[in-house]
Amino acid sequence: MKKTRVAVDVGGTFTDICIMDEDSGAIRIEKTSSTPDDPMVAILNGVEQGGIDLSEVSMFSHGTTVATNALITRRLPRTAMVCTEGFRDVVEIRRANKEDLWDTYKDVAKPYIPRRDRLTVRERIDAEGAVIEALNEDDARRVAEVLRKRDAKSIAVCFMNSYVNGANERRMREILKEAMPDVPVSISSEVMPEIFEHERFSTTMANAVCAPVVVDYVSRLSEKLAAAGYERDLLLLHTGGGVMTPGSVKDFSARLAGSGIAAGAIASRFIGNLCGYPNSIGFDMGGTSTDVSLVFNGEPRITKDWYIEYGYPIRFPSIEVLTIGAGGGSLAWRDEGGSLRNGPQSAGAYPGPACYKNGNTTATNTDANVVLGRLGTSLAGGKITLDPTLAEAAVRETVAKPFGMSLHEAAEAIVAVANANMANAVRLLSISRGYDPRDFALIAFGGAGALHGAAVAKELSIPTVIVPPNPGVTSALGCLLVDIQHDFSESFMASAAATDPGSIEEAFLRIEKNAVERLAHEGVSEAEMILQRSVEMMYQGQWRSLAVAAPARIDRVSDLIEAFHAEHEREYNFRRDEAPVSIFRIAVKAIGTVPKAAIPEYKAIPYRPDPQSRRKVWFDGKAHDACIYQREDLVAGAELSGPAIVEQFDSTTVIPAGMSAVVDKFMNILIRVKG
Amino acid sequence: MNKMMKPSLDPVTFEVLKNSFISSVDQMAERMLRTCYSFVIYNRDFSNGLHDSDGNSVAQGNQDIAVHVGTLHFTCKDVIRAFEGNMLPGDVYAINDPYAGGTHFSDVRLIRPIFDEDHLIGFSQSNGHWSDLGGSVPGSFDVAAREMFREGMRITPVRLFHGGRFCADVANMIAANTRDPQSIIGDIHSQAQATQAAEGDLLRLVKKYGRSQVMQGMQEVQDYVERAVRRRIAALPDGSWETVDYIDRDPAGGEGMIPIRIRMTIKGDGIHYDFTGSHPTIGSIYNSAPGATFSAVVAGMKTFFPDLPLNSGFYRMIEVTAPRNSVVSAEWPVAVTGFLMPFEKIMNAIFEMWSKIMPERAIACAFNLEYLLAGGRDARKEDKPIFMFYEWLPGGWGGRNGKDGADVTTAAFGTGLMSQPNEGNERVNPTHTVEFQILRDSAGPGKWRGGTGVQKTSVLLKSENAVMSYICDRERAVVWGVEGGLPSMPHGLSIKRSGSDEEIWLGSVFSDYPVQTGDQFARPTAGGGGFGDPLERDPAKVVADVIDDYVSIERAALDYGVVIRAIDPDLCQYEIDTDATEARRAEIRAKRKDWARMDPEEVSRLYKAGELGKLDVLRRHAVILDWETGEVLAKTTAQFRESFEKRTVAHWG
Repeated sequence: MKKTRVAVDVGGTFTDICIMDEDSGAIRIEKTSSTPDDPMVAILNGVEQGGIDLSEVSMFSHGTTVATNALITRRLPRTAMVCTEGFRDVVEIRRANKEDLWDTYKDVAKPYIPRRDRLTVRERIDAEGAVIEALNEDDARRVAEVLRKRDAKSIAVCFMNSYVNGANERRMREILKEAMPDVPVSISSEVMPEIFEHERFSTTMANAVCAPVVVDYVSRLSEKLAAAGYERDLLLLHTGGGVMTPGSVKDFSARLAGSGIAAGAIASRFIGNLCGYPNSIGFDMGGTSTDVSLVFNGEPRITKDWYIEYGYPIRFPSIEVLTIGAGGGSLAWRDEGGSLRNGPQSAGAYPGPACYKNGNTTATNTDANVVLGRLGTSLAGGKITLDPTLAEAAVRETVAKPFGMSLHEAAEAIVAVANANMANAVRLLSISRGYDPRDFALIAFGGAGALHGAAVAKELSIPTVIVPPNPGVTSALGCLLVDIQHDFSESFMASAAATDPGSIEEAFLRIEKNAVERLAHEGVSEAEMILQRSVEMMYQGQWRSLAVAAPARIDRVSDLIEAFHAEHEREYNFRRDEAPVSIFRIAVKAIGTVPKAAIPEYKAIPYRPDPQSRRKVWFDGKAHDACIYQREDLVAGAELSGPAIVEQFDSTTVIPAGMSAVVDKFMNILIRVKG
Repeated sequence: MNKMMKPSLDPVTFEVLKNSFISSVDQMAERMLRTCYSFVIYNRDFSNGLHDSDGNSVAQGNQDIAVHVGTLHFTCKDVIRAFEGNMLPGDVYAINDPYAGGTHFSDVRLIRPIFDEDHLIGFSQSNGHWSDLGGSVPGSFDVAAREMFREGMRITPVRLFHGGRFCADVANMIAANTRDPQSIIGDIHSQAQATQAAEGDLLRLVKKYGRSQVMQGMQEVQDYVERAVRRRIAALPDGSWETVDYIDRDPAGGEGMIPIRIRMTIKGDGIHYDFTGSHPTIGSIYNSAPGATFSAVVAGMKTFFPDLPLNSGFYRMIEVTAPRNSVVSAEWPVAVTGFLMPFEKIMNAIFEMWSKIMPERAIACAFNLEYLLAGGRDARKEDKPIFMFYEWLPGGWGGRNGKDGADVTTAAFGTGLMSQPNEGNERVNPTHTVEFQILRDSAGPGKWRGGTGVQKTSVLLKSENAVMSYICDRERAVVWGVEGGLPSMPHGLSIKRSGSDEEIWLGSVFSDYPVQTGDQFARPTAGGGGFGDPLERDPAKVVADVIDDYVSIERAALDYGVVIRAIDPDLCQYEIDTDATEARRAEIRAKRKDWARMDPEEVSRLYKAGELGKLDVLRRHAVILDWETGEVLAKTTAQFRESFEKRTVAHWG
């Protein structure tokens, strides 16, 4: 029996490998430096460094940044697009809007495929799916010949109205395949069969440009792992919160874009559910930014309004993550109007905060935390030492002097502004979506999450903060805890009241047939398959839809309509029982469950641990004599009273004055937020 | 007000309140976007604001449409005038009055007073463009209107919610006067909810920081913005700049463009815009009331201070003077629904003046917005429902200092506005889109060319009693270049009647034109104006534009003097003929001033004889013709040439 599970999360600086023993549930972490030129090198280094015997591994899952980086850096192989005549510019015209409304010198980036490589053919389908003009095969062969001459490495086929009828696109693919059998072809009616040409074309374009890069990477890694004894499929984490096998990656490569961000959100969902908090907010604060995600009733919030670069939507359902420019390295500054600002500029990894001794003299959140005594001067088990005098000088010069404050006032002011900004971001994802933060737990992780988590929670009236055992490598844990998952959807535009339940049922069955085939193709047995239906609806005349869960057999449409009214009221605070409701789209989430190993549980016997040391820590303008603990010294049942600091290799947890905390049976620190 | 009374807030409280005010209006936007009915709102024609208890703007949304900035406080103050002493928690009022500082009837503002216990502490306002407000044409844009009575419904302040209770009587009366009552009621709820979200947020702040600190914060954020703008203005040298831009014509008057003149004066830390010399109101809907004109000034200026937040602190340091009853200062009951035409002229004129002050942000003229409105019966369906096809297209923005203009971007009045998907159009309306693509040679040539425009061509499918209106401009006051750059191209729609191959030019403004099944209509949008001398453009950039088919080989030679030969278009291989390019550029350089001063009648003769194309008439000879007949428009050409000499010829070495 194979007994080991391995999950890899590749970050900008470090590649984290999470290794779990299936019998005991014990988890250990290997950290190795990332190798951006070829991320695979770091993975193989880590496997070796961790002494992992791949022939003993039952599951190897991986959150990769390969697709994201290819899109961001635009190091993309030459990719072409074939369009309906008259529509080669759909992806360049986009919706014609700008991200920065006012700055006339800031432009939206050009499409991933330049105009010269977007060719056209005569063909046309109408809005009802009728073929007005069959694909002109002379045009198609001519285009195939040009693209062969240009040595295109991947091709997107994007025809008008193909979401109702993909016949012309499929024929185009056949002709391209005759000329170039080995070149991947993404057709929009298969990648994203939904109305609205820009969103569909853009998703297909992203898929086409990622395909060669991702396929190359995945096949190289699969080969290396197989050569070292791994016998199963490599599992790749996608933004929808599940994994897929290399077989599906080939056709849906753009689903891997944003995979790294999803990992943290999945881990925080897991931790929340494990601790009995089906409603949780993931708070992943790193050096330059903070990612916020939300789980309600055990399920992460999903969005289809998502992109890597503004203007080029990728319409695959993705875990909704709000990223703001606030991290440990964010700079504090006084603007020309005399206000104290925090971020979004950051000192980055280098030179980093002033106390890193690399020449930066502007105060950062990290410097302020050092001045306040919340952050110790020795990090990463002593590998990094911080210079408190440089932190003090920076806080004094950047903030204390210009604002006429004392040193500690200034440091608290910096942290308070940062916390308020982060709290506003959480509000945008919770309150403005109809969720009350008081019903949630905050899962604080990332290098700096546990340092600020309690204060942010207090700002939002969130009663509980959970700090997982290894806050700095939580994302890798996310890769370990996932199921195979695919998302299918179809436009279904009809008035709800006039819809025959049989016709919805029929459409669902058609999608589900597809879904079952895909899961079977990935080696999922029927017993492990779960199909979740949802229907997206809106009040007739509205423009955005809301998804509601649909039963496994649709008997009455009225139940769906009532569920929609209720969801609209929860999310937007009003319902219109008198208004007609329309159906917009139906969707199926197809899950192939992967058996989960149990996280070890310890017996929690309440006790008061002895602090390892004490130091002065500032809260609310006063210096407190705070207890300092080492995380590895604490066992389940430990009870702590704030002010207290818990230090560990990759993170520091702050329990502010007036709050208390316990270590639970899973070794999480639970902070009870007060005040 | 009495800001001297209290010591200022501590920096943390101030920064937190400032960001929270902005985040509360962003939350309003989020709500509205997700629950709205009007497709115009959905495509981001809306704005949200938070106001102090006097109605001054404290914060406006980060992604709000430009055309509403600087107007929300006017409508809030008008509501206060109407209901002062008579407001209750849970009240919501509506107003859309352009003569009280609103923009046009379509922009309906819902305003909610916010009370802490029984103390009025401020207002939240949600402003959205409704799909219809009645009047003589669908969408409420009747180009032929000269007074407001055929434009739509004017809503002076009315109560829509009374102490939390929905006033269905008033709401139904408003809805009943539109073509889309069901959606109007939906949008009322959507906007009222948005204002409630901000109320909740403000009360949360009051609970945490106390009423007096929050109210003080509302004043201080205005002072903060004012301080920042004044500091930047004070750092600039004092001086005066002036320019003129034009609306194409007065349909009720003779030939000749309608001038909007602006003189801008900076003195110390203050700034003054004076519209003296602008034309009296005209006989169409292309007039602007004072509120909308003020908004145009703010929007133009904000472009040069993109990082500063918008609130009354920004607005109160700007002084505007405009002659009464001029095209930029219309009064009741003059029609103003088309205020966007003067609006964009003002914005571009301000771009031009500020480009002199801040050359690092300089920009040539951007294309003008265009709207197509078609309506009738959709005969594809058995019950022949009414259809309303209402659409705007993107175009090109002006060339910049060291950078080409932005291609295919929404018009300057609202850069967040989204263009509509053709697949949506085809489902909802009996139209078939033949093309929607970048228009070759649409960009104004320059060392840094303008951005490209597009062309959309559609065929009307089975329909009955269909009519079409077109709201556009710059068919004559063509998008201009600066610093030696060239104009782009004239706007104007053309149509091929069903079964005919003849193209009929309908121009840039017409109303209620009957159209039939099978008619095909083409709408080009202009590119942006060129920046700098096109003969100085790097030939490599011209070739790249030819490869991408933004520029034709012919116009590369005519406009840029760059002679290009195709080697193998399949492999994107083209070659520059260096010697021929040098010779061509020398020839153009030697002759172009004479070309630009050639007798317009001679130009007209050559055009009619087919020896000159439209773009040559315009870019080379700076002549404006009646594009349908080819006749010279003498007064218009004289006006156009006067500007061309200043903006273009004077900069040629």
